[in-house]
Amino acid sequence: MSRLDALKTRIKEALPGLECVIGWQKGYDALHNTPLFIRGEADVDKLEWGALNVHNPAVYLPSFAGKKVGVVVKGCDSRSVVELLQEKLIDRDNVVIFSAGCDGVVDIAKVRAKLAAAGLNAGNAEKVAVDGKTVTVTAAGKAVSMPMAEVAADKCLRCQFPNAVLADAFVGDPAPQVQAAPAADADLAALDAMSVPERMAFWRYHMDRCIRCYACRNACPMCVCRDHCIAQSREPHWLSQEDSVTEKLMFQVVHAMHLAGRCTECGECQRACPMDIPVLALKKHLNRTIHDLFDYQAGVDVAAIPPLLQFKLEEDNIKERSW
Amino acid sequence: MAEKIGVYIDESSVAPLLNAEELAAYVKEKCGGACPIVKAHKRLSSPDGVAMIKADVDAGELDAVLICGTSPRVDWDVFTFGDKVLVDRVNLREFVTLSYKNPDGSSVAAGGPIPAELRSMVQDYLRMGVVKMQKMNRPNPELPETNRTILVLGGGFTGMNAALAAAGAGAEVILVEKSDKLGGRAAGLYKTFPMNYPYLEATDTGIDRLIGLVTGNSRIKVRLNTTLKLLAGAPAMYEATLASGGNEEKVPVGSVVLAAGWTPMETEALAPFGYGKFKNVVTSAEFEAMVKAGDIKRPSDGKEPKTVVFIQCVGSRDKSLDRPYCSGFCCMYTAKQAILTKDHIPDSQSYVFYMDIRSPGKMYDEFTRRAMEEYGARYIRGRVAMVYPKDGKMIVRGADTLAGTQVEVEADLVVLAAGAEAAKGAPQLAEKLRISYDKYGFFMESHPKLKPVETNTAGVYLAGSCQGPKDIPQSVGQGSAAAAKVLALFSKDMLESDPQISRVDIKRCVGCGKCIMTCPFKAIKEVEFRGQKKAEVIETVCQGCGICTSTCPQGAIQLSHFTDNQILAEVNALCQS
Repeated sequence: MSRLDALKTRIKEALPGLECVIGWQKGYDALHNTPLFIRGEADVDKLEWGALNVHNPAVYLPSFAGKKVGVVVKGCDSRSVVELLQEKLIDRDNVVIFSAGCDGVVDIAKVRAKLAAAGLNAGNAEKVAVDGKTVTVTAAGKAVSMPMAEVAADKCLRCQFPNAVLADAFVGDPAPQVQAAPAADADLAALDAMSVPERMAFWRYHMDRCIRCYACRNACPMCVCRDHCIAQSREPHWLSQEDSVTEKLMFQVVHAMHLAGRCTECGECQRACPMDIPVLALKKHLNRTIHDLFDYQAGVDVAAIPPLLQFKLEEDNIKERSW
Repeated sequence: MAEKIGVYIDESSVAPLLNAEELAAYVKEKCGGACPIVKAHKRLSSPDGVAMIKADVDAGELDAVLICGTSPRVDWDVFTFGDKVLVDRVNLREFVTLSYKNPDGSSVAAGGPIPAELRSMVQDYLRMGVVKMQKMNRPNPELPETNRTILVLGGGFTGMNAALAAAGAGAEVILVEKSDKLGGRAAGLYKTFPMNYPYLEATDTGIDRLIGLVTGNSRIKVRLNTTLKLLAGAPAMYEATLASGGNEEKVPVGSVVLAAGWTPMETEALAPFGYGKFKNVVTSAEFEAMVKAGDIKRPSDGKEPKTVVFIQCVGSRDKSLDRPYCSGFCCMYTAKQAILTKDHIPDSQSYVFYMDIRSPGKMYDEFTRRAMEEYGARYIRGRVAMVYPKDGKMIVRGADTLAGTQVEVEADLVVLAAGAEAAKGAPQLAEKLRISYDKYGFFMESHPKLKPVETNTAGVYLAGSCQGPKDIPQSVGQGSAAAAKVLALFSKDMLESDPQISRVDIKRCVGCGKCIMTCPFKAIKEVEFRGQKKAEVIETVCQGCGICTSTCPQGAIQLSHFTDNQILAEVNALCQS
């Protein structure tokens, strides 16, 4: 039985006790899947499992607070669920986690670029076939094959958790561990190599095209301020509506600071950005700092308390006193 | 929300660098609309200054008073004008005039040109103070029930005297000692230098009698093998978490007297004198134990030593060891030990290597002279260069700086007068109590002359050697002084709690509990509100540190005196001048 069929079976069994099960279905064209909310048995058959399931369904969980729901997750998504549990933003008794081994998802932007290189428009995609290490996209009657390693999302190239860290129903064989590709952290390395003025110029250049749609925020499973987001708050009036790079960058920096030690690097902020701004790098940088300082990784252990959400008189790795 | 702010500028805090009248004119010009009264005064904390402000408040024209000058740490009890007006402080003295440095690191000379940055910093602080005040909410001070139990930390000479003094005035005392018996360092002493008439003989310390008085006092509850784990709350309503064995117990107390004591210098300072390498080099504490046992013997062969060399200032007044301070009591106990040596071994000869003899106590100098003149101890002014063994003896080679020669003494026994260090764990204890300590781990008093036994945490007092090395009479005096200050605190009928605490906006709170996890004082609890989890601040326990406000993603928890709005207004005032 395929992973997908096994998932469907388990979901059908559990569905009667659940408000809904969140997963993925076919989207508006062959290249895009889209979130699916399974509320009846008929919906189960719409479920998809594979390289086009780019979204992180954990983002919807806090809005179902108080109701018992199921969620289908990839390994990376499961970390967001765990982090939400760690922060008591969702209740363990009210969430049922379905999962299977994940062989990676594609980065649609990379696929689009490959198609463009072959003279094709991604809007004409008719069929997508993923076969092991190759993705074959048929557009305008022409099939273009591309190696998965070249079109996979960056996070998949350095994936540590191809299998869910927490699942109530894990089906099929676990996916093999990924050898981190050397280019996986190229974004951080490039920023590290810059001088401070160069880095500022880099961010000013990229943030200049921000349209302040806040898709990055809405896609973030850990973004929990909701109605009290600094982007909209008038009391206090942290951000003005002035169309300046300073205001736009200010939001990104505050967002990143709020995520320090909480971000599971699911990459949804960057994926959701319609302007292709590399906003994940800010969060990755802070996560690296947190990891170096506290030897901590978010969303791996439900019982762990994130380092910035606890008080310790003496930190293990911060020696601010002589004793 | 203050609308009629009286701004008062303390000339003594800005003079002679700046003119207070000019600053007052500046405030009038920039913020005149919100500040009907702007005045300068030579010294606001003087009775005349306070009376001036009080007259303006009584005239009913103001709803807030902004004191611009000294740190809010000082004179907070002076600047209280009833609950009709809000009071806030702008620290011009510590933040600007005292701390400002020229780019080359030098201070600004009075009378010379005044840097534009210094002036604009003062002006910025004034404008920020006004806008912060405009956004300040009226505090809601609680008047809770008070607890007048005194927690004394440390069962040594100081702590026991403080406990007895407080209990003698009718207070309930909990005396906590981390070891398994009372007495502290004094319990290890055979005798001490004289403390009573005619100040000639080394005398019994009286520690056993003191222990008897403490254990026999019904108002003093002695808790041995116990340490303080946490102190939460505010004066007259602290909650102390006491740990004993594996057990923890929460005890309500009103105030704390710290008498954590001291510890003798570690062996690293003693190593250059052969301690640890040669058996016949001992510390003064080890020698005292021999005297107490009535059994002065060379550790190497058990023979009675006929020549004993005392080396003073081991680990004291030594910059190379980062111990530049004088341990205070070593001169006296060395003289005492020289006398006791002669008492026990009449045909012995003592030598004392010293830097200076520091014996400023009552009849102290007479006592050290007695050691020299009547007991024949030979005092050699100079430092010891090396100590080495030769033919069963210890050769002590040093300088005699008065004679300008080198001296060598063949000693049977070498006694090192090890200096005093802060007690082990003193800095950690200080952090638990939120008091300051110096780089050597000794606790800081609020002010050496004005508040010698107070700390910068209200309701926490200190006494004895935990503040700096002290001999027994000084420690006893300080223990009694601390007891008197605690009793003065409790002599008021009502104690006001600090209104500068966090508050939860229940509409914004999502009940995630992050603030509960980060609060160092366990001052936030989870409550149920219409079926939803919410956070709630326990007002008497909150210390107003603000960690929760930076943790809360929703901005649902705010420090009443530093709301986001106030800080934002200050930043705007600073950046939009």
